Amino acid sequence: MAGVSTKEIKSRIRSMESTKQITKAMEMVAASKLRRAQMKITESRPYFEIILSTIQDIVRSTGDESLPYLLPAKTTGRVAYVVIAGDRGLAGGYNSNILKYCYQEMKGKDAAVLPIGKKAVEFFHARGTDLISDDYDEAENVSVGDCFTISKQLCRAYLRGEYDKIYLGFTRFVSVLSQQPVFLQLLPLEEAILQGENTETPKDHDILYEPDPVSVYRAMVPEYLGGILYGALCESRASEQAARRTAMDSATQNAEDMIADLSLKFNQARQAAITQEITEIVAGS
Amino acid sequence: MTTFPLKIVTPDGLIYDGPAEEVVVRTTSGDLGIMAGHTNCVAPLGMGRAMILTSEGRRYAACIGGMISVLHGEVSLVPTTFEWSDKIDLKRAMTAEERARKMLENKDSSKKEARLAEARLRRALVRRSVAEQAQSRPGM
Repeated sequence: MAGVSTKEIKSRIRSMESTKQITKAMEMVAASKLRRAQMKITESRPYFEIILSTIQDIVRSTGDESLPYLLPAKTTGRVAYVVIAGDRGLAGGYNSNILKYCYQEMKGKDAAVLPIGKKAVEFFHARGTDLISDDYDEAENVSVGDCFTISKQLCRAYLRGEYDKIYLGFTRFVSVLSQQPVFLQLLPLEEAILQGENTETPKDHDILYEPDPVSVYRAMVPEYLGGILYGALCESRASEQAARRTAMDSATQNAEDMIADLSLKFNQARQAAITQEITEIVAGS
Repeated sequence: MTTFPLKIVTPDGLIYDGPAEEVVVRTTSGDLGIMAGHTNCVAPLGMGRAMILTSEGRRYAACIGGMISVLHGEVSLVPTTFEWSDKIDLKRAMTAEERARKMLENKDSSKKEARLAEARLRRALVRRSVAEQAQSRPGM
Protein backbone atom coordinates (compact mmCIF):
# COMPACT_ATOMS: atom_id res chain seq x y z
CA MET A 1 0.00 0.00 0.00
CA ALA A 2 2.93 2.28 0.55
CA GLY A 3 3.29 2.67 -3.21
CA VAL A 4 3.28 6.43 -2.98
CA SER A 5 5.39 7.78 -0.21
CA THR A 6 3.71 10.01 2.32
CA LYS A 7 6.36 12.63 1.70
CA GLU A 8 5.49 12.86 -1.98
CA ILE A 9 1.80 13.25 -1.25
CA LYS A 10 2.53 15.89 1.34
CA SER A 11 4.50 18.01 -1.10
CA ARG A 12 1.74 17.71 -3.68
CA ILE A 13 -0.80 18.87 -1.13
CA ARG A 14 1.38 21.82 -0.29
CA SER A 15 1.74 22.86 -3.94
CA MET A 16 -2.00 22.45 -4.39
CA GLU A 17 -2.58 24.74 -1.41
CA SER A 18 -0.48 27.50 -2.88
CA THR A 19 -2.20 27.20 -6.25
CA LYS A 20 -5.50 27.48 -4.47
CA GLN A 21 -4.35 30.62 -2.73
CA ILE A 22 -3.43 32.21 -6.03
CA THR A 23 -6.71 31.35 -7.75
CA LYS A 24 -8.63 32.50 -4.71
CA ALA A 25 -6.81 35.84 -4.75
CA MET A 26 -7.39 36.26 -8.48
CA GLU A 27 -11.05 35.54 -8.00
CA MET A 28 -11.36 38.24 -5.38
CA VAL A 29 -9.47 40.78 -7.46
CA ALA A 30 -11.69 40.00 -10.44
CA ALA A 31 -14.79 40.35 -8.29
CA SER A 32 -13.83 43.83 -7.15
CA LYS A 33 -12.80 44.90 -10.65
CA LEU A 34 -16.08 43.52 -11.93
CA ARG A 35 -18.03 45.74 -9.58
CA ARG A 36 -16.14 48.79 -10.79
CA ALA A 37 -16.60 47.81 -14.44
CA GLN A 38 -20.33 47.34 -13.93
CA MET A 39 -20.53 50.81 -12.43
CA LYS A 40 -18.76 52.23 -15.48
CA ILE A 41 -21.34 50.66 -17.78
CA THR A 42 -24.20 52.37 -16.03
CA GLU A 43 -22.32 55.66 -15.86
CA SER A 44 -21.53 55.78 -19.55
CA ARG A 45 -25.05 54.97 -20.67
CA PRO A 46 -26.83 58.35 -20.25
CA TYR A 47 -24.21 60.16 -22.33
CA PHE A 48 -24.69 57.78 -25.17
CA GLU A 49 -28.49 57.94 -24.97
CA ILE A 50 -28.59 61.73 -25.18
CA ILE A 51 -26.33 61.76 -28.24
CA LEU A 52 -28.36 59.03 -29.91
CA SER A 53 -31.64 60.83 -29.37
CA THR A 54 -30.13 63.99 -30.84
CA ILE A 55 -29.09 62.15 -33.97
CA GLN A 56 -32.53 60.57 -34.20
CA ASP A 57 -34.12 64.00 -33.91
CA ILE A 58 -32.01 65.39 -36.69
CA VAL A 59 -32.60 62.48 -39.04
CA ARG A 60 -36.32 62.64 -38.37
CA SER A 61 -36.65 66.39 -38.66
CA THR A 62 -34.61 66.78 -41.81
CA GLY A 63 -36.05 63.66 -43.39
CA ASP A 64 -33.09 63.82 -45.68
CA GLU A 65 -31.79 60.55 -47.01
CA SER A 66 -28.71 62.04 -48.53
CA LEU A 67 -27.12 62.56 -45.11
CA PRO A 68 -23.66 61.04 -44.89
CA TYR A 69 -23.06 57.79 -42.97
CA LEU A 70 -26.42 56.37 -44.08
CA LEU A 71 -25.35 54.63 -47.26
CA PRO A 72 -22.00 53.11 -48.13
CA ALA A 73 -19.97 55.65 -50.06
CA LYS A 74 -18.61 53.23 -52.63
CA THR A 75 -18.70 49.51 -52.97
CA THR A 76 -15.19 48.33 -52.51
CA GLY A 77 -16.20 45.19 -50.69
CA ARG A 78 -13.78 46.03 -47.92
CA VAL A 79 -15.02 45.67 -44.39
CA ALA A 80 -13.46 46.99 -41.19
CA TYR A 81 -13.79 45.28 -37.83
CA VAL A 82 -13.06 46.64 -34.42
CA VAL A 83 -12.47 43.73 -32.08
CA ILE A 84 -12.25 44.11 -28.32
CA ALA A 85 -10.61 41.40 -26.25
CA GLY A 86 -8.56 41.28 -23.07
CA ASP A 87 -4.92 41.76 -22.19
CA ARG A 88 -4.39 38.69 -20.09
CA GLY A 89 -5.39 35.06 -20.09
CA LEU A 90 -6.80 32.97 -17.26
CA ALA A 91 -10.26 34.25 -17.97
CA GLY A 92 -11.93 31.05 -19.03
CA GLY A 93 -13.08 31.19 -22.63
CA TYR A 94 -13.37 34.96 -22.73
CA ASN A 95 -10.58 35.74 -25.19
CA SER A 96 -10.89 32.69 -27.41
CA ASN A 97 -14.68 33.02 -27.66
CA ILE A 98 -14.68 36.55 -28.98
CA LEU A 99 -11.63 36.10 -31.20
CA LYS A 100 -12.83 32.88 -32.81
CA TYR A 101 -16.28 34.35 -33.25
CA CYS A 102 -14.88 37.34 -35.10
CA TYR A 103 -12.43 35.30 -37.12
CA GLN A 104 -15.22 33.03 -38.31
CA GLU A 105 -17.22 36.05 -39.40
CA MET A 106 -14.33 37.59 -41.29
CA LYS A 107 -13.43 34.48 -43.24
CA GLY A 108 -13.55 35.00 -46.98
CA LYS A 109 -14.06 38.72 -46.66
CA ASP A 110 -11.72 41.50 -47.57
CA ALA A 111 -11.33 42.54 -43.98
CA ALA A 112 -9.18 44.90 -41.98
CA VAL A 113 -9.08 44.71 -38.22
CA LEU A 114 -8.53 47.20 -35.47
CA PRO A 115 -7.79 45.01 -32.46
CA ILE A 116 -8.11 46.35 -28.94
CA GLY A 117 -6.40 44.40 -26.19
CA LYS A 118 -3.14 42.49 -26.22
CA LYS A 119 -4.72 39.12 -26.91
CA ALA A 120 -6.60 40.49 -29.91
CA VAL A 121 -3.48 42.13 -31.36
CA GLU A 122 -1.49 38.91 -30.96
CA PHE A 123 -4.28 36.77 -32.41
CA PHE A 124 -4.67 38.77 -35.60
CA HIS A 125 -0.94 39.31 -35.95
CA ALA A 126 -0.37 35.58 -35.90
CA ARG A 127 -3.00 35.05 -38.59
CA GLY A 128 -1.66 37.76 -40.85
CA THR A 129 -4.88 39.73 -40.94
CA ASP A 130 -4.66 43.29 -42.18
CA LEU A 131 -4.35 45.53 -39.14
CA ILE A 132 -5.53 49.13 -39.20
CA SER A 133 -3.47 49.91 -36.15
CA ASP A 134 -1.88 47.96 -33.35
CA ASP A 135 -1.55 50.89 -30.98
CA TYR A 136 -4.29 49.70 -28.69
CA ASP A 137 -2.66 46.66 -27.20
CA GLU A 138 -3.68 47.49 -23.67
CA ALA A 139 -7.45 47.29 -23.29
CA GLU A 140 -7.04 48.19 -19.64
CA ASN A 141 -5.57 51.57 -20.51
CA VAL A 142 -7.73 52.59 -23.46
CA SER A 143 -9.38 55.82 -22.37
CA VAL A 144 -12.48 57.69 -23.43
CA GLY A 145 -10.22 59.94 -25.49
CA ASP A 146 -8.78 56.94 -27.34
CA CYS A 147 -12.28 55.74 -28.18
CA PHE A 148 -13.09 59.08 -29.76
CA THR A 149 -9.79 59.12 -31.63
CA ILE A 150 -10.60 55.68 -33.03
CA SER A 151 -14.13 56.62 -34.00
CA LYS A 152 -12.99 59.80 -35.75
CA GLN A 153 -10.34 57.88 -37.60
CA LEU A 154 -12.90 55.28 -38.72
CA CYS A 155 -15.44 57.90 -39.74
CA ARG A 156 -12.88 59.69 -41.89
CA ALA A 157 -11.84 56.45 -43.55
CA TYR A 158 -15.47 55.59 -44.13
CA LEU A 159 -16.25 58.92 -45.73
CA ARG A 160 -13.21 58.53 -47.98
CA GLY A 161 -14.81 55.29 -49.13
CA GLU A 162 -12.11 52.99 -47.80
CA TYR A 163 -14.61 50.68 -46.18
CA ASP A 164 -18.12 49.62 -47.10
CA LYS A 165 -19.06 48.67 -43.60
CA ILE A 166 -17.61 48.93 -40.17
CA TYR A 167 -18.41 46.37 -37.50
CA LEU A 168 -17.68 46.18 -33.84
CA GLY A 169 -17.09 42.83 -32.15
CA PHE A 170 -17.20 42.72 -28.38
CA THR A 171 -18.45 40.61 -25.50
CA ARG A 172 -21.85 41.56 -24.21
CA PHE A 173 -22.24 41.42 -20.48
CA VAL A 174 -25.50 39.53 -20.07
CA SER A 175 -25.01 38.64 -16.44
CA VAL A 176 -22.25 37.71 -14.06
CA LEU A 177 -22.57 34.12 -15.20
CA SER A 178 -23.13 34.67 -18.89
CA GLN A 179 -21.25 36.70 -21.46
CA GLN A 180 -21.86 36.60 -25.15
CA PRO A 181 -19.70 37.64 -28.08
CA VAL A 182 -21.70 39.85 -30.44
CA PHE A 183 -21.37 41.94 -33.56
CA LEU A 184 -22.67 45.43 -34.00
CA GLN A 185 -22.81 47.37 -37.22
CA LEU A 186 -21.29 50.79 -36.64
CA LEU A 187 -21.43 52.23 -40.14
CA PRO A 188 -23.50 52.78 -42.18
CA LEU A 189 -25.93 53.72 -39.45
CA GLU A 190 -28.76 51.28 -39.24
CA GLU A 191 -32.22 52.47 -40.14
CA ALA A 192 -33.82 50.78 -37.16
CA ILE A 193 -31.57 52.56 -34.70
CA LEU A 194 -32.11 55.91 -36.33
CA GLN A 195 -35.86 55.58 -36.28
CA GLY A 196 -35.86 54.85 -32.60
CA GLU A 197 -38.82 53.44 -30.75
CA ASN A 198 -40.99 56.51 -30.50
CA THR A 199 -41.55 57.23 -34.15
CA GLU A 200 -44.46 59.48 -33.33
CA THR A 201 -42.34 62.27 -31.89
CA PRO A 202 -43.89 65.28 -33.56
CA LYS A 203 -41.74 67.56 -35.63
CA ASP A 204 -43.41 70.56 -34.12
CA HIS A 205 -40.86 71.32 -31.43
CA ASP A 206 -38.61 73.49 -33.50
CA ILE A 207 -35.01 73.15 -32.55
CA LEU A 208 -32.41 75.65 -33.52
CA TYR A 209 -29.37 73.81 -34.82
CA GLU A 210 -26.21 75.79 -34.59
CA PRO A 211 -24.82 76.32 -37.26
CA ASP A 212 -27.19 73.97 -39.20
CA PRO A 213 -28.68 70.47 -38.82
CA VAL A 214 -26.32 68.76 -41.25
CA SER A 215 -23.20 70.17 -39.58
CA VAL A 216 -24.49 69.13 -36.19
CA TYR A 217 -25.25 65.68 -37.56
CA ARG A 218 -21.78 65.41 -39.09
CA ALA A 219 -20.22 66.36 -35.78
CA MET A 220 -22.46 64.11 -33.71
CA VAL A 221 -22.00 60.83 -35.60
CA PRO A 222 -18.33 60.35 -34.60
CA GLU A 223 -19.29 61.27 -31.02
CA TYR A 224 -22.06 58.71 -31.10
CA LEU A 225 -19.76 55.98 -32.40
CA GLY A 226 -17.13 56.93 -29.85
CA GLY A 227 -19.82 56.54 -27.21
CA ILE A 228 -20.79 53.10 -28.52
CA LEU A 229 -17.15 52.10 -28.60
CA TYR A 230 -16.58 53.22 -25.05
CA GLY A 231 -19.74 51.48 -23.89
CA ALA A 232 -18.65 48.28 -25.64
CA LEU A 233 -15.23 48.56 -24.07
CA CYS A 234 -16.78 48.88 -20.62
CA GLU A 235 -19.00 45.88 -21.26
CA SER A 236 -16.08 43.84 -22.52
CA ARG A 237 -14.05 44.70 -19.45
CA ALA A 238 -16.91 43.69 -17.20
CA SER A 239 -17.32 40.46 -19.18
CA GLU A 240 -13.63 39.71 -18.87
CA GLN A 241 -13.67 40.15 -15.13
CA ALA A 242 -16.84 38.09 -14.80
CA ALA A 243 -15.35 35.32 -16.92
CA ARG A 244 -12.16 35.39 -14.89
CA ARG A 245 -14.08 35.30 -11.66
CA THR A 246 -16.06 32.26 -12.75
CA ALA A 247 -12.96 30.50 -14.07
CA MET A 248 -11.01 31.18 -10.90
CA ASP A 249 -13.93 30.13 -8.76
CA SER A 250 -14.04 26.73 -10.43
CA ALA A 251 -10.24 26.49 -10.27
CA THR A 252 -10.39 27.07 -6.53
CA GLN A 253 -13.12 24.45 -6.28
CA ASN A 254 -11.02 21.96 -8.21
CA ALA A 255 -8.03 22.65 -6.02
CA GLU A 256 -10.12 22.00 -2.94
CA ASP A 257 -11.38 18.71 -4.39
CA MET A 258 -7.86 17.61 -5.20
CA ILE A 259 -6.61 18.55 -1.77
CA ALA A 260 -9.41 16.51 -0.17
CA ASP A 261 -8.55 13.58 -2.42
CA LEU A 262 -4.85 13.80 -1.66
CA SER A 263 -5.45 14.16 2.07
CA LEU A 264 -7.43 10.95 2.01
CA LYS A 265 -4.63 9.19 0.16
CA PHE A 266 -2.09 10.64 2.55
CA ASN A 267 -3.98 9.36 5.58
CA GLN A 268 -4.40 5.96 4.00
CA ALA A 269 -0.71 5.73 3.23
CA ARG A 270 0.18 6.80 6.77
CA GLN A 271 -2.23 4.27 8.23
CA ALA A 272 -0.81 1.54 6.02
CA ALA A 273 2.72 2.38 7.11
CA ILE A 274 1.75 2.21 10.80
CA THR A 275 -0.10 -1.07 10.33
CA GLN A 276 2.87 -2.55 8.56
CA GLU A 277 5.22 -1.46 11.31
CA ILE A 278 2.99 -3.04 13.97
CA THR A 279 2.75 -6.23 11.94
CA GLU A 280 6.52 -6.36 11.70
CA ILE A 281 6.93 -5.82 15.45
CA VAL A 282 4.31 -8.46 16.28
CA ALA A 283 5.84 -10.94 13.85
CA GLY A 284 9.29 -10.32 15.28
CA SER A 285 8.37 -10.86 18.95
CA MET B 1 -32.04 85.27 -10.65
CA THR B 2 -34.14 82.83 -12.64
CA THR B 3 -32.55 79.46 -12.92
CA PHE B 4 -32.93 76.55 -15.27
CA PRO B 5 -32.19 72.84 -14.78
CA LEU B 6 -28.73 71.90 -15.98
CA LYS B 7 -27.29 68.45 -16.46
CA ILE B 8 -23.68 67.80 -17.27
CA VAL B 9 -23.15 64.26 -18.51
CA THR B 10 -19.91 62.74 -19.78
CA PRO B 11 -19.05 59.14 -20.68
CA ASP B 12 -17.52 58.94 -17.20
CA GLY B 13 -20.79 59.73 -15.52
CA LEU B 14 -22.95 62.53 -14.25
CA ILE B 15 -20.91 65.59 -13.25
CA TYR B 16 -23.60 68.05 -12.30
CA ASP B 17 -27.35 67.95 -11.98
CA GLY B 18 -29.08 70.99 -10.56
CA PRO B 19 -30.15 74.55 -11.15
CA ALA B 20 -27.92 77.05 -12.93
CA GLU B 21 -28.27 80.72 -13.78
CA GLU B 22 -26.04 80.95 -16.77
CA VAL B 23 -23.87 78.72 -18.94
CA VAL B 24 -21.28 79.83 -21.44
CA VAL B 25 -19.60 77.21 -23.62
CA ARG B 26 -17.35 77.22 -26.64
CA THR B 27 -19.17 75.64 -29.58
CA THR B 28 -17.73 74.89 -32.98
CA SER B 29 -19.11 78.20 -34.21
CA GLY B 30 -18.10 80.39 -31.30
CA ASP B 31 -19.06 81.01 -27.70
CA LEU B 32 -22.66 80.37 -26.78
CA GLY B 33 -24.25 81.82 -23.69
CA ILE B 34 -27.44 80.32 -22.28
CA MET B 35 -29.76 81.77 -19.66
CA ALA B 36 -33.20 80.72 -18.51
CA GLY B 37 -35.83 80.86 -21.22
CA HIS B 38 -33.51 80.05 -24.09
CA THR B 39 -35.08 78.65 -27.22
CA ASN B 40 -34.66 74.97 -28.14
CA CYS B 41 -31.21 74.60 -29.54
CA VAL B 42 -28.50 72.04 -30.25
CA ALA B 43 -24.86 72.81 -30.96
CA PRO B 44 -21.71 70.70 -31.14
CA LEU B 45 -18.97 71.79 -28.77
CA GLY B 46 -15.47 72.81 -29.71
CA MET B 47 -12.54 72.97 -27.33
CA GLY B 48 -12.47 75.64 -24.73
CA ARG B 49 -13.41 77.01 -21.37
CA ALA B 50 -16.91 76.59 -20.05
CA MET B 51 -18.40 78.86 -17.41
CA ILE B 52 -21.21 77.69 -15.18
CA LEU B 53 -22.91 80.26 -12.96
CA THR B 54 -24.91 78.84 -10.08
CA SER B 55 -26.17 80.35 -6.87
CA GLU B 56 -22.83 79.39 -5.34
CA GLY B 57 -20.86 81.43 -7.83
CA ARG B 58 -18.98 81.00 -11.04
CA ARG B 59 -17.10 77.86 -11.86
CA TYR B 60 -14.89 77.25 -14.83
CA ALA B 61 -13.99 74.06 -16.59
CA ALA B 62 -12.11 72.70 -19.55
CA CYS B 63 -14.81 71.37 -21.83
CA ILE B 64 -13.96 69.46 -24.98
CA GLY B 65 -16.08 67.79 -27.65
CA GLY B 66 -19.64 66.56 -27.47
CA MET B 67 -22.62 68.88 -27.62
CA ILE B 68 -25.00 71.10 -25.72
CA SER B 69 -28.73 70.92 -26.10
CA VAL B 70 -31.58 73.04 -24.80
CA LEU B 71 -34.94 71.33 -24.90
CA HIS B 72 -38.03 72.76 -23.25
CA GLY B 73 -35.92 74.89 -20.96
CA GLU B 74 -33.76 71.98 -19.82
CA VAL B 75 -30.12 72.24 -20.66
CA SER B 76 -27.95 69.14 -21.18
CA LEU B 77 -24.27 69.64 -21.57
CA VAL B 78 -22.75 66.43 -22.92
CA PRO B 79 -19.04 66.91 -23.50
CA THR B 80 -16.57 64.10 -24.07
CA THR B 81 -14.29 65.53 -21.42
CA PHE B 82 -15.20 67.99 -18.72
CA GLU B 83 -12.84 68.96 -15.93
CA TRP B 84 -13.45 71.62 -13.31
CA SER B 85 -10.63 74.13 -13.30
CA ASP B 86 -9.61 73.27 -9.73
CA LYS B 87 -9.39 69.57 -10.54
CA ILE B 88 -7.11 69.85 -13.53
CA ASP B 89 -3.68 68.37 -13.04
CA LEU B 90 -1.58 71.24 -14.34
CA LYS B 91 1.63 69.23 -14.30
CA ARG B 92 0.10 66.49 -16.39
CA ALA B 93 -1.28 68.98 -18.89
CA MET B 94 2.16 70.55 -19.22
CA THR B 95 3.98 67.27 -19.79
CA ALA B 96 1.32 66.31 -22.34
CA GLU B 97 1.88 69.64 -24.06
CA GLU B 98 5.61 69.13 -24.17
CA ARG B 99 5.27 65.60 -25.51
CA ALA B 100 2.88 66.74 -28.23
CA ARG B 101 5.20 69.57 -29.23
CA LYS B 102 8.11 67.17 -29.52
CA MET B 103 6.08 64.88 -31.71
CA LEU B 104 5.11 67.76 -33.96
CA GLU B 105 8.71 68.86 -34.29
CA ASN B 106 9.80 65.37 -35.19
CA LYS B 107 9.88 65.39 -38.99
CA ASP B 108 9.76 61.60 -39.21
CA SER B 109 6.31 61.27 -37.76
CA SER B 110 3.62 60.39 -40.26
CA LYS B 111 0.68 62.57 -41.17
CA LYS B 112 -1.57 60.60 -38.89
CA GLU B 113 0.78 60.93 -35.95
CA ALA B 114 1.13 64.65 -36.58
CA ARG B 115 -2.63 65.07 -36.57
CA LEU B 116 -2.94 63.11 -33.34
CA ALA B 117 -0.18 65.18 -31.77
CA GLU B 118 -1.85 68.39 -32.85
CA ALA B 119 -5.14 67.35 -31.30
CA ARG B 120 -3.31 66.40 -28.10
CA LEU B 121 -1.51 69.71 -28.05
CA ARG B 122 -4.74 71.62 -28.39
CA ARG B 123 -6.38 69.69 -25.59
CA ALA B 124 -3.36 70.25 -23.36
CA LEU B 125 -3.38 73.97 -24.12
CA VAL B 126 -7.05 74.29 -23.24
CA ARG B 127 -6.47 72.48 -19.95
CA ARG B 128 -3.45 74.55 -19.12
CA SER B 129 -5.06 77.88 -19.82
CA VAL B 130 -8.17 77.01 -17.81
CA ALA B 131 -6.09 75.76 -14.87
CA GLU B 132 -3.74 78.72 -14.93
CA GLN B 133 -6.55 81.22 -15.01
CA ALA B 134 -8.11 79.53 -12.02
CA GLN B 135 -4.82 79.68 -10.11
CA SER B 136 -3.97 83.27 -10.90
CA ARG B 137 -7.41 84.58 -10.08
CA PRO B 138 -8.88 82.43 -7.36
CA GLY B 139 -12.60 82.72 -7.04
CA MET B 140 -12.94 83.33 -10.71
